Amino acid sequence: MAVGTRVALNRTSATPKTRAFRAWWVVARTCILVLLGMPSPRASVVVPGLDATQLEPWLKGLVLVEEMNCVACHPGDASLAARSRKAPRLQDAGSRLHPAFIESFVRDPHGTRPGTTMPDVLGTLTPAERDPVARSLTHFLLSLRPSSFSMEAPDTVAATHGRRLFHSRGCAHCHSPRDERGKELEPTASVPLGALEVKYGFKGLVAFLERPHAVRPSGRMPDLQLGRQEIERIAHYLLQDTRVPGRLSYTLFQGKVWEGIDGDNVRAERAGHADGFGAGSLAKPSHHSAIQYRGWLRVTKGGRHAFHLTANGALLELDGNQVLQLKPSDRRGPKTMEGFADLAPGWHAIRLDYYHTGHEPRFSLEMEGPDTPRAPIDPSRLSVSTDDIPAHEPFRVDAGIAEAGRRHFEQLGCARCHDDVQVTSSPHVAWAKLDVRRGCLSGGPGPWPRFDLSPQQREWMGLAWARAERPGLDDRQQVGKTLAALNCVACHERAGLGGPRPERVALFTGTQPNLGDQGRIPPPLTGVGAKLTPGWLGEVLLRGGRQRDYLDARMPRFGEANVGHLVGLLAKVDVLEPASIPDLAHDQEVKDAGHALVGATGLHCIACHMFNGQRPGEFGALDVARAPERLRKNWFHLYLRQPARFHPTTIMPAYWPDGRPGSVQVLGGDAGKQIEAIWAYLSDGQRARKPLGLSRESNEVIVADVAEICRGQGPVGYRGIGVGYPERIHLCFDAGEMALRQLWKGDFASVSPGHFRPRGSDLITLPPGIPFHTLATLDEDWPAKRKTNHAFPQDHGYQFRGYHLDARRRPTFRYQFGNVAVEDFFEDVRNAEGKAYFRRSLRLDNQGEPVSFHFRAAAGKDVRRRSDHEFTCDTLNLRIISAHSGTVRDGEHGDVLVPLSLPRGHTVLSLEYQW
Amino acid sequence: MVTARHIVVPLLLALASASPVRSEDDLGAMWGTAEAEARYYPIVTIPIPPGVPLRPGGLEVIPDGRLAVGTRRGDIYFVKGAFDTPPRPEYHLFATGQDEIFSLSWRDGALTATTWGEVTRISDADGDGVADRYEALTSNWGYAEGHEFAFGSKHDPEGNIWVALGLSGSYESHNLFRGWAVKVTPQGRMVPVCSGLRSPGGVGTNAAGAMFVMESQGPWNGCCSLKPLQEGAFLGHPASYNWYPFAPHVPAPAVEPRSDSRMAIERRRVKELVPPAVRFPYIKMGRSISGFRTDTTGGKFGPFRNQIFLGDYALSIILRATTERVNGVWQGACYPFREGLATGIMNVEFTPKGQLVAGGFTTTSQWPVRGTEPFALQRIDWNGVTPFEIEEVSIRRDGFLVRFTLPVDPQVAAQPGSYTITSCTHVYHAGYGSPEVDHVAHRVSRAVPAEDGLSVRLYLDQIIPDHIHDFDLSKVRSRDGKPLLHGKAYYTVNEVPLE
Repeated sequence: MAVGTRVALNRTSATPKTRAFRAWWVVARTCILVLLGMPSPRASVVVPGLDATQLEPWLKGLVLVEEMNCVACHPGDASLAARSRKAPRLQDAGSRLHPAFIESFVRDPHGTRPGTTMPDVLGTLTPAERDPVARSLTHFLLSLRPSSFSMEAPDTVAATHGRRLFHSRGCAHCHSPRDERGKELEPTASVPLGALEVKYGFKGLVAFLERPHAVRPSGRMPDLQLGRQEIERIAHYLLQDTRVPGRLSYTLFQGKVWEGIDGDNVRAERAGHADGFGAGSLAKPSHHSAIQYRGWLRVTKGGRHAFHLTANGALLELDGNQVLQLKPSDRRGPKTMEGFADLAPGWHAIRLDYYHTGHEPRFSLEMEGPDTPRAPIDPSRLSVSTDDIPAHEPFRVDAGIAEAGRRHFEQLGCARCHDDVQVTSSPHVAWAKLDVRRGCLSGGPGPWPRFDLSPQQREWMGLAWARAERPGLDDRQQVGKTLAALNCVACHERAGLGGPRPERVALFTGTQPNLGDQGRIPPPLTGVGAKLTPGWLGEVLLRGGRQRDYLDARMPRFGEANVGHLVGLLAKVDVLEPASIPDLAHDQEVKDAGHALVGATGLHCIACHMFNGQRPGEFGALDVARAPERLRKNWFHLYLRQPARFHPTTIMPAYWPDGRPGSVQVLGGDAGKQIEAIWAYLSDGQRARKPLGLSRESNEVIVADVAEICRGQGPVGYRGIGVGYPERIHLCFDAGEMALRQLWKGDFASVSPGHFRPRGSDLITLPPGIPFHTLATLDEDWPAKRKTNHAFPQDHGYQFRGYHLDARRRPTFRYQFGNVAVEDFFEDVRNAEGKAYFRRSLRLDNQGEPVSFHFRAAAGKDVRRRSDHEFTCDTLNLRIISAHSGTVRDGEHGDVLVPLSLPRGHTVLSLEYQW
Repeated sequence: MVTARHIVVPLLLALASASPVRSEDDLGAMWGTAEAEARYYPIVTIPIPPGVPLRPGGLEVIPDGRLAVGTRRGDIYFVKGAFDTPPRPEYHLFATGQDEIFSLSWRDGALTATTWGEVTRISDADGDGVADRYEALTSNWGYAEGHEFAFGSKHDPEGNIWVALGLSGSYESHNLFRGWAVKVTPQGRMVPVCSGLRSPGGVGTNAAGAMFVMESQGPWNGCCSLKPLQEGAFLGHPASYNWYPFAPHVPAPAVEPRSDSRMAIERRRVKELVPPAVRFPYIKMGRSISGFRTDTTGGKFGPFRNQIFLGDYALSIILRATTERVNGVWQGACYPFREGLATGIMNVEFTPKGQLVAGGFTTTSQWPVRGTEPFALQRIDWNGVTPFEIEEVSIRRDGFLVRFTLPVDPQVAAQPGSYTITSCTHVYHAGYGSPEVDHVAHRVSRAVPAEDGLSVRLYLDQIIPDHIHDFDLSKVRSRDGKPLLHGKAYYTVNEVPLE
């Protein structure tokens, strides 16, 4: 079998297909080698956190020892191995990376990626000897798993968004910011990326960005937790110089395209390659879109060419000269027109703007030339480039060469670092026996891997070497080392350690300019262990917790194995003096004082701060109702007394300057008492009473200490009443049929005029139907409102009478069923485990003769009887707690029926709903 | 789930009496009189603090002098200081959690709110200033489709609330009593009153206490009109005939109206058909007229005492109307009053100080509104200066009596040529709206000013029943030579007095 090597090229037995492959491989590799061979600044190994931090030199050396995974070759203490950075996983390298890149990188890692920690392991070979080794290693890596590597035309529209995201989400604080043409501006101070279009295909890069830890388990490339679209946009940006063959480039626009594609009300949606002209060449575009095509038209015989166009609007240019123009209009249908151009043989730049708008949009473009009859332009005459761009063809692995590569992989010691590949390299000199004057750290040539270390780096490592196995770091050193290795200081300032590079601070942006620098720059880590509760620190570091939604930068996840230890260490390292906190009972009076202080007539905290998810007018500063969840009380007291101590640029006012009494006379104006009262009030969290002046503009109805109601169209019809309860369980009652229809948990509801819909989770929907009815037989369907029973349910004796609210604004629904007046109350209560559920009591006042009927307590698809008093209905558990029994009926909607016999006077039926 | 349809369907379709229009549609020329109007009736904006989503639907003044505002969000605010000059409003949230509120009325210690699906009596039993009793008086009409609006009146002397129920989707009647007006008693009994409505926008009385509804232009309605709510009446749109079996005490008409006819002709066929009392020529006099109130301030609001003032949603204007009963049938005239309000007007209310409060909102859908504020609460104050205006046009056997707010120049007023009177009518048909048809130019044979100059008796060659008589009096001058602030009036003739 022929393979893509120079040797194989000389074989005569190659099939046409393999010849094509060889040709592609030669061209592709040449292109990449040319790109890679371009002069680039020779950099020493880059561990960006090192330069920015103020660690002691030997500690910097230790970071380098761990980052370069020295212990992989030189067996030593297990703890050093555990602390050291794992090399990228290579099992899937063939799907992720361009084969030519692999070959090039193996041959010359430092030339290919200046600054990489990957050593040059072929240093003892001559350039001529390197090539076959690098090639065989490439075959070996591609033999590990079937490759799905592919290349796609970049979406230049997505790339424009991607550029913004790359610079704002945080990528550009470890990697270099780039200029408008994509050139890295500060490569030596950044984790090197170089020309990624020769390394990755689009799908491979997206897969890597979605799960970076799968390839790089040590978390140095963290997971930014971006959505798929943002990842794709960044990938398109980083790969915007990818070149693949195609017929035409297109850009799709949408909006009021009849105003022209440069209009204010038109936005570019996407771009890519198209097979030809016309809407049919893309996935069906929506109405009110425009497509701009660009490419080259090949003319075989010179002369006058005619172009016949039917469209709502279009512009056709050849070599920059206008051939046809038809102004689009949304108020008419397509028009037909023709234009002419005298064209010499050869390639001509072609541009077509097509407007898919107006009545019954339709498109056709035909060309007629000296040697071509009138017909749509044959795609074979079109190309995105006058260059011959080779298509990517799957790499063909030669088993023999791959086997040679496997041996190299073993002998060169690659497997010591890349230990996910099932190859074992024998260990090198043990740690204890090392002589740092010889070998990798000597700086001189020799039969060892060559690391691109600067003299200073070698010096640091020399200081660390002897202590690296058991460095005996104290907590502060341990924290500093982790923050440096993971480059946390690229985004966060920490006193005594470092902070963001001044030249990159401007890259931080936010959505709340009113908040100043705090609204754009990630918070400092100085004293963070004394500020945040361990719970919240863990939430942020390990589970993606986030409250500063206004920051454009994302707090990434580094993986629990890599940062889990910080939660405990930061708390030990960061200590603040104890604040003077008055001993104040958290009784209602104190909470009321806190409520008054937070509200509009007090300190008006909610003028800037969110409260329980509700946003004030122009600001959206941190949610005060979540402060006790995040903050240590001691810090809260210290901070409120002197905010500028912690954030010199904060816009948060000092309400008690120098501890003097504040202007609000609650609790005598005493600073400590007032702060403690605010803390006491906020400690109720989501149950904290809403402060005065809280905006009601939000579409979300947030329940605090009292129930909230919303009415109107919703999931159960037009007369729904949604009730949100403080225990964060909610229900929807249909005032049309007087029936319980929905139960859910968590967030309550969103409203818009005349409408509401449940938010939250664990939604249970019960079928429509009145609550009480006398069934003639048990086979009878339970009555419910249909389209044509217009007088229902009044014709069944029902009349809705509204509701009364109790002190916590929980409604008692009131309705009439014949002579029976019903008061229907749902109470939100908690069981012993703290789980909230509803206790429902129906107080039935029979004002007439004794009467018997059924109450339908629940209905659903899977209804089961546990006892006379306990039932399950899908995920709902129902218990009758009054002295009544229920029965179960099967059917499309099985139901739980409670037979009731009411004497004159009162009867109480009590039930519990748990789910 | 909120379905896409619910989002797309503009909630105010029924209010906007126009056919579906796009925002770039012309809202018609303005009267161009705002600057002159402001010299007599300045507009005062009542500030709304940030965070208060005050999209007013229902307005009422409660006994302690505060303004009650029922909102689109389903809240009721009590506003103190709204009538001060300058306004110093303090907003108190009295009730929450209702469906969209279209009307409010106070009686016996409670506010009665009319929403899409219910008439609700709302009160504060424990006296903490926040409502805790929401008593449904009735919800016995069908409500299961978009556009099924429900506008309520103030309490009538018996304590009833009259509710006008818009058609399903504003075209058909799929749910119980859509297209009817009903009366809701203080005991919560719902009494069907009359059929034939299309898409009402407000319910209220004239000075004589007769109940009227504001109807929207559309099928069977050539333009917006003020229609009297009379028991057993049929008000013109036959889609709601299907509910007579559910209202046994209301006799069903024997026949349905024929399309492509005239109101006067069909009145002879359909005995129950009651014609609109005041028709408002489309665009010229409103496009989607909404809530209205009668000026019972005893002159505090200027010279138009006992007249009806109406808000318009699309044009952000206030109109004026007068009514009289001729041969047992209500009819009357409409007049321009004030333009240039800040938003789409949903409702109006008179204050104890004799100011007219107007409030409303715009929507984000394609329904055009001339006012640009997303929502607003404004006040029109009379500054005590009397404008020279047509006060009222009323009919006589052989012509009209036109009263003015100030004495006219007798010489100009005595010339028949000072008056241009034309008339036309609409096609009465199932199609949407109507062109103005059957145009007639009337000849004024004699014009006789009264001695005090405050009225002119006009004698016409003919008065045509079923026609809107268009009065152009722009040549008339006041005694000191000034032109009228508004020179137009439109009188709808249903009947000509026998005497």
